[in-house]
Amino acid sequence: MKILALSQKESQDILSNKIYLLLIFVQLMIILGAFGLAMASSIVTDPNLIDQWQGSTIIKVGITQDLNGSSLEKNLKEQKLNLIYFNTAQEGIRELGSSMVAMIYLKNSQGDIGLETNNANVFYPVVSDKISMALNSYRLEQKLSKQGLSFQQIKVIKNPVFLKETPINKNSAAPLAIDSSYFVEIMYGFIIPFIVLLPFFLASNIVTDSVVGEKERKTFEILLMAPLSSSMVMIGKILPILSFSIMQSAAWIVLLWLLKVPVYNIIPLLVLLFFLGLGFSGMGIIISMLVDSTKEANSAITLLLFFATFVLFVPLFMNIPSIQSILNLIPTVIIVRMTSTPVIEAPVLLSFIPTVTLSLLIFVIAVYSFKRERAIRL
Amino acid sequence: MRYWTISKWELKNTLQSRKFLLIFFFQLTVLVMMVFFFNGFMANIESQEGVGLTPSLNEFASLDVDDPQGIFKKNLNPEILKIGLANNDSSQSLKQGKLNGLLLVQNTSDSINYLSPLQSEILIDYSDPKRSVVRDEVILASNKTASIISQQMIDKIIPNSGNINEPQIQEQTTGESLPMQLIKKIMTAILLFLPLFLFGNLVVDSIVGEKERKTGEILIAMPISRSYIILGKSLAVIMTMAIQVALWIIIMLVAGFSLGNPLLVYLIVVISAVPIVGITTIVAAYAKNFKEAGIGITFAYIGIVGFLIVPALAYIAQQGNNISFSSMTLVIKIFSGESLRWGDIIIPMIFILIISIFSYGSAIWLFKKDEIVFGPRPGIVKLFMDFIGITTIIRKIKGF
Repeated sequence: MKILALSQKESQDILSNKIYLLLIFVQLMIILGAFGLAMASSIVTDPNLIDQWQGSTIIKVGITQDLNGSSLEKNLKEQKLNLIYFNTAQEGIRELGSSMVAMIYLKNSQGDIGLETNNANVFYPVVSDKISMALNSYRLEQKLSKQGLSFQQIKVIKNPVFLKETPINKNSAAPLAIDSSYFVEIMYGFIIPFIVLLPFFLASNIVTDSVVGEKERKTFEILLMAPLSSSMVMIGKILPILSFSIMQSAAWIVLLWLLKVPVYNIIPLLVLLFFLGLGFSGMGIIISMLVDSTKEANSAITLLLFFATFVLFVPLFMNIPSIQSILNLIPTVIIVRMTSTPVIEAPVLLSFIPTVTLSLLIFVIAVYSFKRERAIRL
Repeated sequence: MRYWTISKWELKNTLQSRKFLLIFFFQLTVLVMMVFFFNGFMANIESQEGVGLTPSLNEFASLDVDDPQGIFKKNLNPEILKIGLANNDSSQSLKQGKLNGLLLVQNTSDSINYLSPLQSEILIDYSDPKRSVVRDEVILASNKTASIISQQMIDKIIPNSGNINEPQIQEQTTGESLPMQLIKKIMTAILLFLPLFLFGNLVVDSIVGEKERKTGEILIAMPISRSYIILGKSLAVIMTMAIQVALWIIIMLVAGFSLGNPLLVYLIVVISAVPIVGITTIVAAYAKNFKEAGIGITFAYIGIVGFLIVPALAYIAQQGNNISFSSMTLVIKIFSGESLRWGDIIIPMIFILIISIFSYGSAIWLFKKDEIVFGPRPGIVKLFMDFIGITTIIRKIKGF
C-alpha cells in the first residue's frame, strides 16, 4: 500500500503538469506529420500511385517537335507523361530545373535519342522509370521493325513475361492506407518503432527531474527515510511514468490502426516496451544518483537519449551482413519484425532476452546505487 | 558592462564544474562517433544501386519460389526477400500466414523455344501488410527477367541480332538526387546546429536554479539591473555554445566534411544561438521549477527545430529558387558553394534580430515581475493580457 501512496504522489505530480499534457499533443502532431510525410513520399515515388492520384498531369517532360507522331511519343503518352513540345532541344533544356523534369530529343538521323534529366527534382525517380520503359519499348520496336517479324512476334518479344497475381486470404486482408511497398517499408521499418518509443524518451527525463529535483529541494533525505525498501522506492518512482508511457504507446497504436496502418502482436510489443522503459528509467535513476544538479542531470540525459537514439535507429538504415545477427537483437529491429506480421515466430520472442536482461540489470544497478546513496546520506 | 560581471561569474562556475567539463567533452566524443557512422552510412548508400532513404529491411518478407531454370529467381532481391524453395507445404504456409508469397514460374526454355510469353503466377497473402513489398519486388524481378528473355528470343529468331542497329540513348543528368541532398546537406546542417540544443540546461540552471536554491533575492538585491542579469547569464551560455561549435567544426573539417567557408558558417551558427538562448530564457524565466522548465524547453525546441529545418527542406525540394528566413538554409547554401544574394543573408539576420529582441525583451519583462520570480505566478492568459497592454487599458477604464 505504501508503494501505491508513493506512486499516487508521483502520478499526481505528472498529471498536474500542464506542459506534460501539452507534450502529448505535440507527440500527436509529430505522428500525424510523419504519417502524412510517408503518404506523400510514397505517392511521389510510385509510378502507379502517382497515376492513380492524378499526379502525372503535373509532371512535365519536354520533347522536340520532330518526335511528334513517332512511336516514342506514343510510348511516352502510354506512360501518362505530360508532354511539352519545343521547336529545338536547347529551348527545352533551358526549362529544366524550373518546371520540367526531363527533355527528350532526336540527336541525329539514325534515330539516336538524347535525354537530359534534372536529378534534383522530387519526381525524378518516377519520371526516370516511366521514360526508361518508354525508351526500351521504342528501341525494341525500332530494332525489330525492319526484321520482317509479325505483329504477334513483336508483341511477345516486347512483353515476354505474363505475371498473374492471385490474392490469398483476401477476406482477412490487412487494411492499408496506401498499398505501396515504400509506404509499408518506411512505416514499419522506421516510423512505427519511432512512434511507440517516443513516450519512453520523455520518461527518463521525467524520472531524472523527479529525483534530482528532490535533491535540490532538500526533500531527498525525506524520501530516503521512507519505510520502504530501496527497490520499492524505485518501483514507486518509476511505475507511474512507465504506466503513462505504455498507455500513450497503446493510444498511438490505436491511432495507427484508425489510420489504416495495422500494428500486430500488440501484447508482446507492450511487454518489450515495458522492459525498454524500465531500462530508460533505470538509467535516469543512475544518472540522478551521480549528479548533484538538474543542469548536469539534463545534460547527461540528453546525451544518453542521443546515444540511445543512435543505437536504436541507425541500425534500421544500415545493411552490414557481418553483424546482422547482432543487429537482429536490437529492440527496434525486433519491433519492425513483430509489428509487421500477424503471425509471430518463436525466434522473434527469443530475441527479447538480451533487452529484458539488460533492462533488469540496469534496474538492479539503479536500486544498488540508490541503496548506496541511502547509506551515505543517512 | 555590468552584465559582463554576471557572464564572468556564470562562465567561471560552469567551467569549474568537473562534471560539466566531462559532459562537454563526452559530447565531442558522441560527435566523433556520429561522423564515423555518417561516413560509413554514406559509403554504404553510395555503393548501392541508386540512392534511397528506405530502412534497410533485411529479409523483411518471405517468398518461396518454384523456378526450374532459375532466371526469374536470380533477379529477386535477396536482401529484402527471404527466398526459399517451394515445396508441398508452401501453399499451406501461405494460407496460415507463415509465408508472404509463393512464386510459380513455367519452364523458361519452352517460352523461348515456342515464342510464347513466360507464364508465371504470384500468390500473395493479403492478410499481411507486406503484400505490397512482395508484389513490387516480384514485378521488379519480372521486368528484369523480361529484358533477358526478350534478348534470348531475339537471338533465337534473328541470327546475328547483335549486328542490328538500334537507337542509342545518351543521357545526361544535372543536379544531385534529392535523397543525397537530404543526407549530405540536411544532416551536415543538423550536425552543425546540434550544439545549440545541448546547452539549454545551462540557461535553465542559471535562472530557474536561482529560484529553486532561493538565491534569487540575493541576486536581485545586488546593484545590477534585472535586464543585465538576464543578458549576462545568456551571454555566458552563448559563449559556451560558441566554444563547442568551434570544436565541432574543427572535428568535422578534420573528418573531411566540406563546409565551404567554415568561418562564415561558424559565425552564422553562433549568431543563430542568440535567439535560441533568448527563447530558452523566456521558458526559464516563467518556469517555477526544473521539471516545468525542462518540459517547456522540449516543447520550445521542437518548434525551433521545425522553424530551422522546414524551410531548409523546402529549399532543397524547390532547388533554391526562393529566399529563406531560416539560418540553417543559409548555412546549407554556404557549404553547397552557391553564390549568395544579399537577401539570402539579410532576411535570416533580420529574423534573428527580431526574434532576439522579442525573446530577450519578454524574458526581461517576465524577470522584472516579482510575482514571477518569487510567486504566486499568474496564469499565462493573464500574463499575455498584461504583456499586450489589455490589463492596463482595463484598469484605466475601471479608473474612469
